Amino acid sequence: MLRSTITRVALGVIILIAVLGLLRFKPWQRGGGSVEQAANIANGPRQQLNVGFLPVTCHLTCPVTDYASKTSTATRFESQRFTDFPTVVETVKGGRLEATFMIAPLAMKMREQGVPVKIVYLGHRDGSTVMVQKDSPAKDLRDLRGKTFAIPSKFSNQYLVIRKLMDDQGVKPEEINFVEMPPPDMPGALAVKAIDAYFVGEPHAAKAELDGSGRVLYHAKDIWPRFISCVLVVHEKLIRERPEVVRDLVRGIAESGEWAEQHRLEAAKLVSPYFRQDEKVVRYVLTQPPDRVSYRMLTPTDEDLQQIHDMGMKAGILEKPVDMEDLIDRQFIPADIKPANITVQASNGAQ
Amino acid sequence: MSMNVATSNDQARLLPLVVVLIALALWWTLSALHVFPESLFPSPVSVAKGFVEEFQTGRLLNDLIASLFRVITGFTLAVALGIPLGLWLGHRTSARTALLPAINFFRNLSPLAWIPFAILWFGIGDVPAIFLIFMASFFPVVLATIAAVASIPSVYFRVAQNYGYRSTELLTQVTLPAIAPQVITALRVTAGLAWVVVVAAEMIAGRDGLGFAVWDARNGLRMDLLAVGMIVIGIIGVVIDRLLVQLMKIQSVRWGYEQ
Repeated sequence: MLRSTITRVALGVIILIAVLGLLRFKPWQRGGGSVEQAANIANGPRQQLNVGFLPVTCHLTCPVTDYASKTSTATRFESQRFTDFPTVVETVKGGRLEATFMIAPLAMKMREQGVPVKIVYLGHRDGSTVMVQKDSPAKDLRDLRGKTFAIPSKFSNQYLVIRKLMDDQGVKPEEINFVEMPPPDMPGALAVKAIDAYFVGEPHAAKAELDGSGRVLYHAKDIWPRFISCVLVVHEKLIRERPEVVRDLVRGIAESGEWAEQHRLEAAKLVSPYFRQDEKVVRYVLTQPPDRVSYRMLTPTDEDLQQIHDMGMKAGILEKPVDMEDLIDRQFIPADIKPANITVQASNGAQ
Repeated sequence: MSMNVATSNDQARLLPLVVVLIALALWWTLSALHVFPESLFPSPVSVAKGFVEEFQTGRLLNDLIASLFRVITGFTLAVALGIPLGLWLGHRTSARTALLPAINFFRNLSPLAWIPFAILWFGIGDVPAIFLIFMASFFPVVLATIAAVASIPSVYFRVAQNYGYRSTELLTQVTLPAIAPQVITALRVTAGLAWVVVVAAEMIAGRDGLGFAVWDARNGLRMDLLAVGMIVIGIIGVVIDRLLVQLMKIQSVRWGYEQ
């Protein structure tokens, strides 16, 4: 009696898993002639590469490149969205992700730990913001002494730049109470006054501005002109084995950046489904003011990264010096950058 | 658990509904009074809109299928391996003495702590999520089975011996029926655990799943969709539990209670 019950239950579970598996993987949808497959048949199988990104405007060119590569004949780039940097690092270390956007000091930390990654391009310039509470009287960091200040990570350039600005303004490191916090939580924490200020990549700062709970203390460009927070990182294995793919990638990112510069409203519309964020927020970041974030001049220079590196050493997040020669690889950057060939209609109601 | 009086059956249906309505009213009041900013504390109306949006795009169903697939696969693997191991350890004193501390050790590790290893061994996608759910449910199932076997009165086995039961008969006629009620109760608790872990498990760069939807909504600054994810996760959890309760109503399983 019980035996047959167990058999029945076991059979039921197996059938359930099989049905769920079928619904999940939809084997009948394979071989349905999509545009991509048609392109494959026409041109032979295309090279393909996954590129990691987080839904922040610093990584905007990643989904734009994904979109552009759908119709191009060069390498197909699949943008792979992550929710946090530790997972990105672990996936790269595990050898399952060969190209990704990440915060610059974290790339240096990986290099320091012996993970052979190279910075081949920058993700953006500017595009980070220091927010304080709406009614805060703070005019500079001196007014934030004894206050709680949120940063996305100790390995973020935001943290390093704030440390430098504190130094410039004569505020000692222990005078501001830093907390690490996931960027999406920052606007909420500011609204309920759990923190007094934060410095983060957009759109997590614009969100507080739009909600009316915060105001801008500094745009990144005010404290550090042409500020860099995120870079494009690739594994040396990929450079060794498929250099042409890396070349395609850097060109794709560069051209996507140029396109986004010229089509800010369209870019907001294009990326918001990739980010799964409200188009309004992304549009605000890209237009208010238009130079809040920039996707030009993305060649990494030794001076820029050396400066970030030195600040990282000073703040104690890097322990061993990293040689810029080992870290940066500029051979894939195209000489002339044309805007990517993308047609997207801007949404109605866009200002 | 059946109610004795006919009216209490209606009550059993009605009372939870009343609680739900009160909770909804409280929620609506809090959001209508703007106690918290709307962008952080979504109103029931915006959540309902979010629900319709998620349903119409087909994302909700897709996420639901993905999560159910992962949880049921992980949980089934844990049960399929955990119960036999528990049975074996329940009967073998020396093996139990040797392995029990290790099983207890692993049971106490949060599935979150396994995430870096899950990525290292299985990459990203379905497999690491299933692995995390397995890690969360396997050890409790083993422990519960051991405990259930240990609590079988030895007189059962002596009687079975008198009747000349062979080992398979002993298993299906004595051991399994005797431990079934306890094990099923343990499965209910563990299934709940597995379902809780899905949110953590799907943090690992999934593309879908209810847990992923919750993280993603948070990243996308969409509190309404976050609430949609929470509500669906809660409801499915209740449904899974109800289904497992049905197992207990099977006649042969009730045998254990009749003692």
